[in-house]
Amino acid sequence: MFRVILQSQWKWSRLFIVVATVAAFAVPILSVQSTGGADPALPGELLSTMQSWSVIYPTLAGALGLLTAMRAWASDHSGRHVYALVLPLPRWRYVLLRFGAGLALLAGPVIAVTLGALFATKTATLPHGLHGYPLGLALRFALALLVAYAVFFAVSSGTARTAGMFIAAIGIVAAVQVLASAASIDLPIAQTALRGIVDWPGPLAIFAGRWMLIDV
Amino acid sequence: MSHAITIDGLHYRAGKAFEISDLTLRVPAGAIYGFLGPNGSGKTTTIRLVLGLLRPLAGRICVLDALVPNDVVRVLARTGYVPEQPHLDHTLTVTEAMRFHAAFYPTWDQSWAERLLQDFELDPTQPFGKLSKGQKGKLMMLLALAQRPELLVLDEPTDGLDPVVRRDMLEALLDYVAQHGATVFVSSHLIHELERICDWVAIMDRGNLVSELPMDRFKAGIKRLKVAGAPADLAGLPFKVLARERNGSTESWVVSGWQPDMTAFFERGETTLREIIDLDLEDGFVELLRAARRPVA
Amino acid sequence: MLDRIDPRSPTPLYAQIAGRLRSAIAAGDLRPGEPLPSVRQLAAELRVNPATVVQAYRDLETEGFVEMRQGAGTFVREVATERRARERTRVARQLIRTLIADAARAGIPVADLVAAIEHELGAKTS
Repeated sequence: MFRVILQSQWKWSRLFIVVATVAAFAVPILSVQSTGGADPALPGELLSTMQSWSVIYPTLAGALGLLTAMRAWASDHSGRHVYALVLPLPRWRYVLLRFGAGLALLAGPVIAVTLGALFATKTATLPHGLHGYPLGLALRFALALLVAYAVFFAVSSGTARTAGMFIAAIGIVAAVQVLASAASIDLPIAQTALRGIVDWPGPLAIFAGRWMLIDV
Repeated sequence: MSHAITIDGLHYRAGKAFEISDLTLRVPAGAIYGFLGPNGSGKTTTIRLVLGLLRPLAGRICVLDALVPNDVVRVLARTGYVPEQPHLDHTLTVTEAMRFHAAFYPTWDQSWAERLLQDFELDPTQPFGKLSKGQKGKLMMLLALAQRPELLVLDEPTDGLDPVVRRDMLEALLDYVAQHGATVFVSSHLIHELERICDWVAIMDRGNLVSELPMDRFKAGIKRLKVAGAPADLAGLPFKVLARERNGSTESWVVSGWQPDMTAFFERGETTLREIIDLDLEDGFVELLRAARRPVA
Repeated sequence: MLDRIDPRSPTPLYAQIAGRLRSAIAAGDLRPGEPLPSVRQLAAELRVNPATVVQAYRDLETEGFVEMRQGAGTFVREVATERRARERTRVARQLIRTLIADAARAGIPVADLVAAIEHELGAKTS
């Protein structure tokens, strides 16, 4: 049973999984390479480059988790879950199989980021005092991906209505933010909301913090 | 197991629309049981309750000797379902859909599935979304039959499909029943099709079961009588008058519960029986429903 | 022979099927020892419940026209000539009964009906 669920989920997700895998491998390497002509004696520049690239990792983890989770449930939603509910297995088992299939697919990007980070740090000449944290970064990425996937999976597995409400809420916050900044009103609600969610001590905290491939 | 489906005192309500109250229904094992009723009468809801897709408010549903929804997984392993709306993922090809389905049913018969694939003339590489309405219906029937179920629950499986497709699907269904003796619970608006294949007929209206009889007994019992000298008061008759219409000196009655020996009733008294006209299933169904909604005094 | 069974008729389908087969056997169209179509085949061909076909075959077996052999199928039995003649008479009378009832309903007097029969029969043989 797991095999066919994995096969179908791969078929639906393979496009963005492959793109994400390539990106996950490339980003650490490109981030290090972009310092290119930087003087290895100037750690400050390297650090600021790492800082600017660091935002890509949580974004990629969040987006990939969202897409994988949504695609896992999309066809069930369009059929109003009838097909799955008439299959002869308990609902919790079916949900578990779907969740597991998504996790199996996400192994690819995780391995890619690990390899990319290792390759990037091993081939870079690091200035004195700075260290590479490829495994730390990869682990953080994997955990963030897991959290994002789990959260969006839980939301998507509900009715299409609750999933829609969730996405609508995000959309409204984003829209208000855009309007506010267009009217030059200082209303950082999106930022505060995001801050609030991420700073709240819990699994989402993994998205905050330092995503530095190379650090002191 | 004498009955494949037993429903006792079922009660269900969804909003203000309608309610199914105190529904009692028995589908004998091995029968082809036809379920008729106007749209919105509760047929699809009943089917959903039988499959455990909905939870009843009260009552007992027993399918293949197991309780629904308590033991529903055991029931679903032996039940094939063809829904009103084909509901598979649009990107899966025919082969992929078959492979997916087969993984969940240990009783899957691959050689039978392949034969049906040929008989139904389905292209295995076509994605589900590109199939025509008839092809989708045929695929759903293929999946349900290749599972080798003991019970088939069909919700308007051939409604809206062209006659060639309908024949192909019915032949495959009957072939399966002939081989495996499965029970079939089928709801449909195609009354003439049900008339051919069903040995039981149940009629539902507004959440209530109006009639449940073997097909031959239903048809034998519902007649149009041409009578003369009819009394104004219809009490004390051995049959039930569903409708009466005056045509000059004669009246036309539609009756149910008729038996051939009831002609004796007309031999005494002033009322004479001029003619007995047989009604087919569709006429009988329509008259029964009209009477249920506007009872004759 | 077995096409055009009428599901809308009040006569139960098994009775219609049995009736047609009975007439065919009585007329000699089905010879003794000949197999009837399998239940599966006939049910699919006529698009009726297989149980209906089984009942028709069983009725014919009870009446002595066919023999159901386990695993092999259903076969026509040797039927005595008088039996076949009786069956043909029975069917003929049934047809005539229907004809007379239809004519009465259409308001045609018996004399006209008889004349019409003779005319049609005469027209056929000339």
